[in-house]
Amino acid sequence: MMNSNTADGVLDAPAAPYSADTEMDNSGYRDTATAKVITKRDLWHIGFRGLLMEGNFNYERMQAGGFCYSIIPALKKIHKDPLDLAKALKNNLNFYNAHPKLFTFPLGLCIAMEENKEHPSTISSVKAATMGPTGGIGDAIDHMTMMPLTLGIGAAISLQGSIAGPFVFFVLYQLYHFFTYFWLLFFGYNSGVAALAQLSEQAEKLGRSANILGLGVLGAMTASFVRISTPLVITAGEAQVSLQTDMLDKIMPNLLPLGFVGIMFYLVQKGKSPSALIFSTLAIGICGRLTGIL
Amino acid sequence: MFFEALLVALWAMLCGIDKYDIALNIHRPLITGPVIGLILGDLNTGLIAGATMELAWLGLVPNAGAQPPDVTIGAIAGTAFAIKLGISPDASLGMAIPFAMAMQALIIFLFTSFSPLMQKCDNYAADCNTKGIDNMLYLGLGLRSLLYGVVGFSVVYFGTAGADFIVRYLPENVIDGMAIAGRMMPAVGFAMLLRTMFNVKLLPYFFLGFLLTTYMQLPIMAVAIAFLCIAILDYYHQESKGNDASNSSNLDTINDEL
Repeated sequence: MMNSNTADGVLDAPAAPYSADTEMDNSGYRDTATAKVITKRDLWHIGFRGLLMEGNFNYERMQAGGFCYSIIPALKKIHKDPLDLAKALKNNLNFYNAHPKLFTFPLGLCIAMEENKEHPSTISSVKAATMGPTGGIGDAIDHMTMMPLTLGIGAAISLQGSIAGPFVFFVLYQLYHFFTYFWLLFFGYNSGVAALAQLSEQAEKLGRSANILGLGVLGAMTASFVRISTPLVITAGEAQVSLQTDMLDKIMPNLLPLGFVGIMFYLVQKGKSPSALIFSTLAIGICGRLTGIL
Repeated sequence: MFFEALLVALWAMLCGIDKYDIALNIHRPLITGPVIGLILGDLNTGLIAGATMELAWLGLVPNAGAQPPDVTIGAIAGTAFAIKLGISPDASLGMAIPFAMAMQALIIFLFTSFSPLMQKCDNYAADCNTKGIDNMLYLGLGLRSLLYGVVGFSVVYFGTAGADFIVRYLPENVIDGMAIAGRMMPAVGFAMLLRTMFNVKLLPYFFLGFLLTTYMQLPIMAVAIAFLCIAILDYYHQESKGNDASNSSNLDTINDEL
């Protein structure tokens, strides 16, 4: 049900391109003594570094550099053996791509696993396995629900000429964002691998609830923000019938906006690019005005 | 003019960082619009222009790999045009689109050219040089920020002159048509959001939200709270029913709510 853009490409993506040119070394860490070295302070530190995780986003390995950057303080504390540290750093430079606002859950999980000196390949697999779900849930909750919701509320206030609009958006969004972002880091670290099963069980239900909220608000926004009306007047004998107020509005107000969103949705489903649709809308607006339909 | 453009460039640099990192979301048109308005001396137009563009580009969120037209540069251009040329925010939205598209192309180019940084990182990893890995990230971040700054400056310093020329020689009908298109534009963003959420079983919720606003003129906030209640009810309803909650049970939830 969640059709995540972030997740799709990820699962089919080839494994880290770099692994070919390094010595194929499947051994675990040399020093396997485990000790609890990660403190709450470290997690906060890592969390703040994680805010920059798309700093050198690129098309070769996407967020690999950012993931490694985020986890570095933990790796330095956990791996005292330089060869182990090098191995861990390389392992964390593998292709990575998840939702930057919710990737703290896998990040916390990885820190717990590194601390436990799990086999690097196990850590790699868990990272790969969590990319898809965090991408999917992230899209459902963040991009499709929280962003449009808070932006829509803010824009509605702004359009009334009140400067409060941007501030309302800022506060509402950050309340959700920073809380979730840091909570997930601690949750991921504390619950370790066991949480993974639990989260993906909840993920579907959570995604569904988020979708309900998003869809309802989207419906309301369609009614209030898409504005299309026609000035056409039909002359039948001496009676003048305005197409908009006498006919369309009698059937249902906002019929044209609803229909237009429907058409756009159909075209998006057909795979038309947003850019093409934006330009088409521009053309429709201008042609509609020139012909007097709109 | 030069000083104004410089301030815009500074803001654009902050947005360039914020667009993908930290996520204070100051790069959204809703916030960038009024800030550019403030810099150019017309806060109110900036506010309205920002909100107008925000609604049109609501669905344009970068999902890794697929870059949508750049809403930040679009918002800077749109707000600057609305203020400098005195055209309506709806019409300036149409004129801002090419700028948003051009920035999209530049960003794709930037992300492609960052790939060699990864080989550098691999070498640093082998040497346990964590500072090096850190610096590669700061380098990427700095270059991206710089790109936004340069483009933001150019749009305000050079772009307005070109746009002025267009407005002077474009028939009024076409500008009006752009404004009409601007008011229709949110449909594209909404359609993109809909695609990602689409689930036939859940579509009644969309129509319910539509009807609440069409016939009862409920503000977005009220609709949001109502649907939050429905979503929570639905969540617990599923929990008690197990994972395969059927469609009819959801309708019960709606009826309960109403």
